[in-house]
Amino acid sequence: MTTTLLLGFLTGIGFGFALHRAGFSRCNLVHRGLWLRDFTMLKVMLTAIVVSLIGIAALSALSPELVHWKIKPLYLWGVIAGGFIFGVGIALGGYCPGTAVVGLGSGIGEAILAVVGGLMGALAFIVVYPWLKPILIEPANLGKITIPSVLGLPVLPVALAFALMLVGVIWWLTRLERRMRERAKAPVQN
Amino acid sequence: MAVSEMKVRTFPATGKSDAARMPNWLKWGALIGLVQIFAIATVAPLGVSTAYPQFVGLVLDRLFPGFAAQQLYLREIGTGVTWEVMLLAGLFTGALLSFLLGRMKGGLHSQPAVAPVCVTGFEGSRMRRYVRAWLGGFLFIFGARLAGGCTTGHMLSGMAQMAISGLVFGAVAFGTGMLFAKLLFREPSR
Repeated sequence: MTTTLLLGFLTGIGFGFALHRAGFSRCNLVHRGLWLRDFTMLKVMLTAIVVSLIGIAALSALSPELVHWKIKPLYLWGVIAGGFIFGVGIALGGYCPGTAVVGLGSGIGEAILAVVGGLMGALAFIVVYPWLKPILIEPANLGKITIPSVLGLPVLPVALAFALMLVGVIWWLTRLERRMRERAKAPVQN
Repeated sequence: MAVSEMKVRTFPATGKSDAARMPNWLKWGALIGLVQIFAIATVAPLGVSTAYPQFVGLVLDRLFPGFAAQQLYLREIGTGVTWEVMLLAGLFTGALLSFLLGRMKGGLHSQPAVAPVCVTGFEGSRMRRYVRAWLGGFLFIFGARLAGGCTTGHMLSGMAQMAISGLVFGAVAFGTGMLFAKLLFREPSR
């Protein structure tokens, strides 16, 4: 049990360090991303997904017992309604649950408020959960479906194809960004 | 103070040596991917938003003994010092570490420069900014808990496992975020 906790702490340090270095402690990055002015946010996320997609698929092919899968179920109403509320939240705050804590670590006032708001939102959710569960979470639950399970194909080839597609998206975003920068002739980093 | 702050935040974005280096988004995005593989191989895929209600449960249960046992949601997700809560603590520590290391290095590399705020309507008074950040935090955790995950759990981890729920959540959250960022904030003045 203690080992698990220590592992969690170490994992968090690596994650927080990388998110901070990528620039996520400030809400600018998310706002610029949502305004399609700067694709740093999307590129960081897609890169992380590509690396882990290939890593997990390779690991599951080599030693399946090492992979702790945790597929989230697709209960349509809750995922869609939650995604909507979440989207409004990130547009307002410029943070998501993880980056708010990263901002907190670098002492940014707005991030502190976002974390406090998040804790209060968590309490509100705990309180209303018994009412929401039968309306939004239990009905229309399609279960823990994945792209390979829907297609009925093995994990590794689907993961490689998906990764290749995401690399294409990253490449396209980089090109789009260069073209936008040339047009605007404004200095933008990365 | 203001000038030294500026120095900390400006980063040679167009220096020659900088252009030759691996772009920031690629370097730190790939590291997040490796952290994800480590997390999956040791305990579970990365996830941040679960820790918020678990932490709330931990604190409130200390203040009002028996609180956690009465709440259906906390009985389902568990509470106390969990792997998720330790990950959150690590996230904070990692960001703080990166921030302090950047400071020690004379400000350079503390963070990639993010061009100033792109949305003029966002600045406003400090009070308004704080209220917005608080409300954003409240909504992003409420939404994330309703959907069953946030940017990290649904998008980073979900897409790395090719879960359909992650794709649906990502599409709804980004779409809503983009729409509301456009509705709420004005075009940059420059």
